[in-house]
Amino acid sequence: MSDKSWQIPRRTILRGMGAAIALPILDAMAPLRTAKAATTAAASSATPPVRMACIFFPNGVWEDAWVPTTEGSDYLMPYSLRPLTKFRSEFNVLSGLDQANSRQGDGHYAKTGNFLTGQPVTKTTGRDISAGGISMDQLAAQHIGHNTPLPSLEMGIDPVISGIDSNVGYTRLYGSYISWRNEHTPVAREINPRFVYERLFGGNQAAGSPEHQRRQEDFQSLIDLALEDAKGLRRRLGRDDQVKLDEYLESVRAVEKRIEFSLQPDPREWMPEVYPDLPGIDGIQMPADFREHAKLMMDLLVLAFQTDSTRIASFMFANCVSGRNFSFLPGVSGGHHDMSHHENKPEKIKQYRRITRWHAEQLAYLLERMQAVPEGNGTLLDNSMVLFGSSMSDGNRHDPNNLPIIVAGKAGGAFKTGHHFASNDIARRSRGLPVCNLYTTMLQTMGAEVDTFGDATEPFTRILAEA
Amino acid sequence: MVPAQAMRRKLSRVKMNNDKDLCMRSSRFGIRGALIASALLTAGVGTAEDISYEHDILPIVGEYCFGCHNEERASADLNLERFETQQMAAESLAIWQRSGRRIEHNEMPPRNRPQPTEEEKAKLLAWIQALEPPMLDCTLIASEESVNWFPGFVMSRRLNRHEYENTLRDLLGMPIAIAHMFPADGAGGEGFDNHGNALFLSAIQLEKYLEAADHAIEYALPADSQGSAAWERLMAMPAEGEDVREAASAVIRDFAGRAWRRPVEAEELARMLDLFDRSQERGDDFGDSIKLIYKAVLVSPHFLFLAEPQPAKQGDYELGGYPLASRLSYFLWGSMPDEELFALAAAGQLANEEEIERQVRRMLLDPKAEALGEFFVSQWLGITPLGETIKPDPNRFPEFDTALAASMHREPALYFTRIVQEDRSILELLDSNYSFVDERLAEIYGIEGITGDEMRLVEFEDDARGGVLGMAAILTTTSHPLRTSPVLRGKFVLEQLLGDRVPPPPPDAGTLPEDDEHHDGLSLREALELHRQKPECAACHERMDPLGFGLENFDPIGRWRVEQAGLPIDTAGVLPTGESFSGPAELKALLLERRDAFTKNFTRKMLGYALGRSLTQYDTCVIDDALVAMEEIDWRPSALFTEIALSYPFRHRYSGGASMEEAR
Repeated sequence: MSDKSWQIPRRTILRGMGAAIALPILDAMAPLRTAKAATTAAASSATPPVRMACIFFPNGVWEDAWVPTTEGSDYLMPYSLRPLTKFRSEFNVLSGLDQANSRQGDGHYAKTGNFLTGQPVTKTTGRDISAGGISMDQLAAQHIGHNTPLPSLEMGIDPVISGIDSNVGYTRLYGSYISWRNEHTPVAREINPRFVYERLFGGNQAAGSPEHQRRQEDFQSLIDLALEDAKGLRRRLGRDDQVKLDEYLESVRAVEKRIEFSLQPDPREWMPEVYPDLPGIDGIQMPADFREHAKLMMDLLVLAFQTDSTRIASFMFANCVSGRNFSFLPGVSGGHHDMSHHENKPEKIKQYRRITRWHAEQLAYLLERMQAVPEGNGTLLDNSMVLFGSSMSDGNRHDPNNLPIIVAGKAGGAFKTGHHFASNDIARRSRGLPVCNLYTTMLQTMGAEVDTFGDATEPFTRILAEA
Repeated sequence: MVPAQAMRRKLSRVKMNNDKDLCMRSSRFGIRGALIASALLTAGVGTAEDISYEHDILPIVGEYCFGCHNEERASADLNLERFETQQMAAESLAIWQRSGRRIEHNEMPPRNRPQPTEEEKAKLLAWIQALEPPMLDCTLIASEESVNWFPGFVMSRRLNRHEYENTLRDLLGMPIAIAHMFPADGAGGEGFDNHGNALFLSAIQLEKYLEAADHAIEYALPADSQGSAAWERLMAMPAEGEDVREAASAVIRDFAGRAWRRPVEAEELARMLDLFDRSQERGDDFGDSIKLIYKAVLVSPHFLFLAEPQPAKQGDYELGGYPLASRLSYFLWGSMPDEELFALAAAGQLANEEEIERQVRRMLLDPKAEALGEFFVSQWLGITPLGETIKPDPNRFPEFDTALAASMHREPALYFTRIVQEDRSILELLDSNYSFVDERLAEIYGIEGITGDEMRLVEFEDDARGGVLGMAAILTTTSHPLRTSPVLRGKFVLEQLLGDRVPPPPPDAGTLPEDDEHHDGLSLREALELHRQKPECAACHERMDPLGFGLENFDPIGRWRVEQAGLPIDTAGVLPTGESFSGPAELKALLLERRDAFTKNFTRKMLGYALGRSLTQYDTCVIDDALVAMEEIDWRPSALFTEIALSYPFRHRYSGGASMEEAR
């Protein structure tokens, strides 16, 4: 079969391709920020904007190694959170927050797709895929996304899980998305750091050149034609099919907005004091090692915020049920999901909580990077809210109550930090409050005019600096 | 349109008509049916029709099943107690069929629970079999109204990233590796990434479509090579004295017609020529202007979507030549139709059944049919994540790298392609004496004398390796990073091969050691056997584990082994039915005896892939017909592909009528 001519080039080309692609469209969309920043850097007096990152890790936590035993600011740092000790005044631990709409359904898919929607996931292998509603990050993007070249940035490490789980009756794609544009439509994530970089900063083409301008014109024409085609086609399709065409139309408009953004006067009043030296596209490759991959994604997250390319980001360390092999950690000999089913055996719990601790180390790295970026009177971290958590507590029981949640950063002074806020009886692990209460307050602080979100009962005002 | 109510009525028309039907069914369903028929006689029950759910079945189910499968506990997410009447039971046929298989194989009730008598069992199974409507109306597909209840609806959808890459290849006449730039697509329906509901579009994809269109056109038609073969093929330059706009019109009509897989309409052409004019006014030369239009063609929804516009009249309709040509080509090639299919569509020849048959045979012989091996097989067998999220531990298995993972993926793809192209029995998927290897795989399999990275056909000297169960891709995917998993391998046999279901373990079930060292003095097998003594675990593990033990001679990356951690491997297994075996060869022989389950599942999966949607009870017609047709010719798959291509749901669609737009 190897004599079939089209099979062989396919493989050889695959290898040589990455660097050859010119990425004109992304160049065309790249804002002229670098040039502008250089000329106006000193003049910026506006207040830095507030940024929001939502970071998910799979398989829950061993609660005894996560939840501090006392409330307030003098709590003893639990085992899994110890890498964060250095930053204890920069974040809050929030316990006793529940996801009531995850109490039904299967153990993973029905408890991941809705991490940021707070609504029930529809049991289906295809028809009526729904995470119950728009996710919190996307709602924030709807409100404030127009202020930046990218309304939001979605990233992950693993490709979307393939297949369906016919035993539990869910499509596995629920386990791969936490960002949903609306209840039926997940937002695609980028897992390749190189492509993330290109989305943010374009390729190598000089912005403002005649060639650049011509391309912008060309792409505008392509988009105009595409929109007309889509409207024409839409009329001839059935109702379900029209929904799919609407996704197309929305995506075209999103791209159109990006191009417009780069052509119109920049709406951003604030300018970073120090514009980072960008590594350049050739410096960024897809790492083979998971640890480097995760680090690079967090570097990009910081760059995206630092350059004010977007103010909203979501990131998934892995898909749900991830069986990633963590035996690179001392004392760990196996996969994450299997460790989360610890059966209360000490030797497995030890490894489970160690894997969680690795994730906390990554958060510590991110906070360190954010803290190193000076902005106004503080740092990027001071101007951010970083939600870091999982959609279940004890993975052994797939428990959607008492979620492990950390919020780091002062959100531009709106949040106090350094506390453990318990919303339930810590010792008894009683039912607490909806995690959506927190989401509501995060949204309000981001400038999204919402009264409530998901199944929230009231805003989570305890986190506010001036309650 | 068929209202949901009427469909329910049809489905609930469940009683077998007479003995003849039962016998006919018995012959089709082989041994099982015959056994049931004779059991019925000895049980003193005349025909299945005489069995009443309320009087005969409810007491049996109540005694043996309700203990666990009740309102509150609903073990394995199954509550049988809710079925109070024949009518209610009949509406959940699939649940009863699944339960029936478990009972038939002695897998339920669990061994440590009271067991039904043979008579009770026979009565129950006969009743379940009679639930299948004998006279299904095979000319029904779902309407938009009934679709919630009956999801047999194929929707217009975008191309997935592999179809997109293949289509560019065939459109431009050169391979362009571009799929990896796009985010992976999720799956729905029967588990494939060609299910409209599961294919979404975000800004990220659109950016990439723009980028890819630009890249592909510049790559295929580089500015500095005008006059080259590619230019000749894709763009006829205006001849001396020819009107430039007319030349453009001809070139665009041809390219867009192929790209959009249908003739271009006048209005569409006019819009593109407008853009051509503007580009010309800007001073672009002919080639640049046309290239701009080509890029527009590639970002148009007409290219990106497999759209099936609907006629104004409400109801089922036969697909026209062009949409049918696309259904055929994306099913068999994962790509666009070729010139011959386009010509037949234009001539109205695809309405002809003989022509469809001829095309199916031709298409299967085309190298592009390898798409079936690549995309159908990898998703059916669940090996897509191998090398991505599923990787053996790098310290323990340093041999495993990207290249080996690629070879592992190639093996089942080429194996299946050979079966398809040489029309060999699909039972070879279960067992054969050959496969495809390159140097890296040959090392894993212990085959000498193979060098280089070309995959080639090899014959095995023993009968342990042949068939998918001996393939490294499957053996590695069903292992943990540091050890094999008899559980996952057993689950693979039951689910992927036999189409059975294994409910997920209860959340706090125990798990096993992560590596294959001996823990507490127990081997992995002994630990598993201990685990199986827990009654809540036993029912499922007694089905899975023995099958997995049969494959224990294969290590976590598929190498042959006879001992593990210093002790000889015990590959003996006993199934709940009492059948016993040892090692892969005997396991495969046993699976061949369950060929009915395998061929049915395989057929089901292929139909799900062909239609890109979840299957419904009505699709049983196609499955049954295809099974009969395949069995007649010794399980050669050509019969399956032909039956699918000729089937009613493949060639028809439902229109909600012209009111769509007005309704908005």
